[in-house]
Amino acid sequence: MVAQNTEKMPWVEKYRPRFTKDMAFPTAKVGRQKVDLIEDLKKFVISFFKEKQKLNDVNRKIRTYNRTHEEKDYQEEKTLPLDKAAVLLEGPPGIGKTTIAYALANDLNMDIIETNASDTRTKGALESKLRETTKSRGIMDFIVQSKKKLILIDEIDGLYGVTDRGAVPTILSLIENTQFPIIMCSNDYKQNLQSLYNKIKKYEVNPLPDEEVLKITRKIIFKEKISGISEKELNLIIEKNEGDLRGVINDLQGISQGSLNKNTKELILNLNRDSTEEIFSLIKNLFQNVNTLKEARNLTNKSDVDYNFLYKWINENLTSYIRLNSEIVNAYENLSLADEIFGRIRKNQYWSLLPYFYDLFAGGVVLSRKHRPPDESFHRIMFPRFTSTGFFSLSVIERVVVEKIQKKYKVSEIEAVQDFIPFLKLLSGTSRKQLKELSDWFEFDANEKKLLK
Amino acid sequence: MLSESPIWRIKYLPKTLNEICGRNDIKERLKDLINDRNFPHLLFVGSKGIGKTTIADLFSKEFLGRFYDANSKLVYANVPLTNEETKQARSEAYVSTNKIGSLAGKKNTTPAFIRVKIKPFVQLKVLGDVPFKILIVKEFDSLGSNQQAFRRLMEIYGTNCRMILITTKVSKIIDPIMSRCQVFLISQIDFQSFEELISTIAEKEALKIDKETIRALYEITTGKLSNAIDLLQICSISGNDIDVDKLYENFSNSKNDMIKSLLIMCFKGDFRKARELSRKIQSSYKFTSQEMFQIMLNELAKLPFSTYSRIKLINLLAEADFRAIDGRDTDIQISNLLAKICQFSEVL
Repeated sequence: MVAQNTEKMPWVEKYRPRFTKDMAFPTAKVGRQKVDLIEDLKKFVISFFKEKQKLNDVNRKIRTYNRTHEEKDYQEEKTLPLDKAAVLLEGPPGIGKTTIAYALANDLNMDIIETNASDTRTKGALESKLRETTKSRGIMDFIVQSKKKLILIDEIDGLYGVTDRGAVPTILSLIENTQFPIIMCSNDYKQNLQSLYNKIKKYEVNPLPDEEVLKITRKIIFKEKISGISEKELNLIIEKNEGDLRGVINDLQGISQGSLNKNTKELILNLNRDSTEEIFSLIKNLFQNVNTLKEARNLTNKSDVDYNFLYKWINENLTSYIRLNSEIVNAYENLSLADEIFGRIRKNQYWSLLPYFYDLFAGGVVLSRKHRPPDESFHRIMFPRFTSTGFFSLSVIERVVVEKIQKKYKVSEIEAVQDFIPFLKLLSGTSRKQLKELSDWFEFDANEKKLLK
Repeated sequence: MLSESPIWRIKYLPKTLNEICGRNDIKERLKDLINDRNFPHLLFVGSKGIGKTTIADLFSKEFLGRFYDANSKLVYANVPLTNEETKQARSEAYVSTNKIGSLAGKKNTTPAFIRVKIKPFVQLKVLGDVPFKILIVKEFDSLGSNQQAFRRLMEIYGTNCRMILITTKVSKIIDPIMSRCQVFLISQIDFQSFEELISTIAEKEALKIDKETIRALYEITTGKLSNAIDLLQICSISGNDIDVDKLYENFSNSKNDMIKSLLIMCFKGDFRKARELSRKIQSSYKFTSQEMFQIMLNELAKLPFSTYSRIKLINLLAEADFRAIDGRDTDIQISNLLAKICQFSEVL
C-alpha cells in the first residue's frame, strides 16, 4: 500500500505518520490537567487488555458456577467500568486525532476497525459491523492466532438524529460488552452525546503549536523539493489554518503542484486569507473591491461570518457606500427580497431557496451601483446597532418607567409607550414645574426623568 | 406623597361605578349582576381608549369589595412573557420522572402564556367571603390560537374564577369563546355625558370653556375621554380661557405626526435622514412594521396627491407590508419602502 503510486497520493496520506514516534506530539488536557496523550493512550490500551483478561477469568468461573446452580442463585457476569473500555478525543479538525489512533495500533501491532461519518450508523448497521468483534471472538480466531484489534469510532459528533437513530445507546452497550479497547473522536461538544460524555474519559486535544507545524511543513517542502514558496507565504498558510496540520499540507499541495500558474496561487492565498479576516474587511471588500457576482459569491462563501449577521451588517453600511437614490432603491429591493426569502426559509424550512438569499444580499446589493470604478474613499464601518426583531421589547430604563406608571395608573405597556409617555413628554416639556410635579408623583429619579425630555 | 395626581386623566378617573359618566344601561346591568352576587363570563367589546378596562376594573372592585386585591388579576394578553417567565415556563414544561404521579415523565403541552400567567391564578381557591375570583384579560384577540386553550379553562375553572375578556376586535374572537360569554358592547360616550364631565372638570380647574368648544373637543378626540382630558390639560397651561383655535393648535396625535413628517422627508428625497427618523420612531414607539404601515396608509390618504400617484404609493406600501409578513428584519423592509418613496418623489 505504501509503495504503490505515491506520486498520485494526496500528501496528507503520503505523509501520515505510521508510528507514534514520527508524530508531531499534540498536547491534551483531561479536565484541567495536562497529560501526555500518547503515553496515556498506550497505558489505556495495555491496561484494558490486562483488566479484560482478569475479568474474563472471573466471568468464566461465574459461568461455570451458574451452570451448576439453580436459576435463583445465578451470579451476574461482571463488566468493565465504561471509562476503562473507551476514551474520547475531542479537538478541532486536522490535528491528528485519527492519526494517533492508527499510529498507536501500528506501535502495538494491532488491527484497527474504523467506522466514521461516511457510514450509516443506525443501531443495526453499527451492530453488524462491530458487535461481532466486540461480543466474542470469531470462530476464526481460535484457528488462527489473530492480531488484537482497536476500535476507532471516528467523527462521533456526526451522528445525526434520524439517519443514525439509536446510535448512542448502541455505542454505550457496545462499550459495556467490548472485547477490544475503543477510541472515539469528535470535533465539538454535542448535546445528544451528553450521556456518553458523562461516562467515559475525555481528552481535549489542543491544536498543534505553529513551530511544530512549521517543522513538519519544512520537512515536506524539502522532500518534495518545492521551490518558490516564500517564508512569508508559508507563515501565512500556517497562521490561517490555526494548528490544522491537514489544512496546511493540503494548501501546500494546492499551491505548489506544477500545473498551477502564478495567478491561481495568488488566488488560493488570497481567498483563504479572507476566510479568517474580520467582518470589517469583508464588508469593505464587498463594497469596494467586488466587480462581478462571482467575486461576491467567493467572498461570502469563504467567510466564516454567520449570514444571520452578515446581511444586517450590509443593511447598516449600505448607505455609506451607495449614495445615489436610484441605486439605493435597487440595493434595497434585493436586500428586502433576501430578507423575505430568509424569513420563509426559517419559517418553512425551504432550504433550497438559500442560494438566492446569498446572491441577493451580497452580490445583489453591492453590484446595484452602476458607476465604476468603485468608490475608494474611506468609510467607517458601522456596527448594526439598530436591531428590530419585530417583537415588542422595552429597554431597561423604559421598563422601570412603565412599571412605575403602572403602579399609579392601570395602563398596558404598549399603551403606555405609544400613548401615555408621549403625552407626559409633551406635558413636561411645557415647564420645569410640570416636570418636577410629574416626576414627584410617579417617583421618577434623575435618570428616568431624562426619558421624559 | 401628593394626594392628587398632577395628571388630570388620572385625577378624574372614576372611583366607583356610579361615577362613570354616561352609559346608564351598562351601569344598570352591571349593578344587577352585583346584586345577584353571580354573573357569567363577560366579554367587553369596544373601540380603543373608550373605557372598557376602567369599567371592568370598577365592576370587579365593587363586586369583590374588600377582597378585591386578593381575588382579582389583570392580564395583558398582548405583552409577551419576560425572560424570567419564559425560563420558568421552560423549567415547568417537563415533569421529571423522579416525581410521583400520573404526570411523571410527561410533557406539559399547555401554551407557555396560559401556564405562567393564567393557570396559577385560576387554580388557586377563593380567598375571603366572595363567590369567585375575577380574572380580567385585556386585548384578548391578540392571543390568537391560544384562545382555544381558554375554552376548557373557562369551563373547568369557571366555578372558581369568572373571566372578563376585553377586546377591540370582536371579529377575531373565536365562536366557542363568544358562546361562553355574555357580551357587553361598550359604545362611544354620548355628547351629553361628555359635556357634563368636561364642564365639571372645567369648573374644578377653573377653566372657561363654552359649549361650542366642548363640541369641537368631542369631535377632535372622537369622544375618547382620556385624550380629551389630556388635550384640555395641555391647553390649560397657557391660560384658563379655552377656545376652538387653541384646541386645534395644541392637538397633536404625536405618533401620526411623526409618521407624517417621515413621509414628507421621503418626498424631499433624503433617504438617509428619513431612515434615521424611521429608526427613531420605531425605537420610541415600539411599532411593529404592520402598525407603522397602517399609520402610513392613513397619513397618505390625507396628503394632497393626484389619484395616480396615490395609487402608486399605496402599491409600494402594500408590497412592503406584504414582504414584512415573511421578512425577519423590519428595518430592512421599512428602509426598502422609504427608498422607493424617495425615488418616486424624484419622478413626481
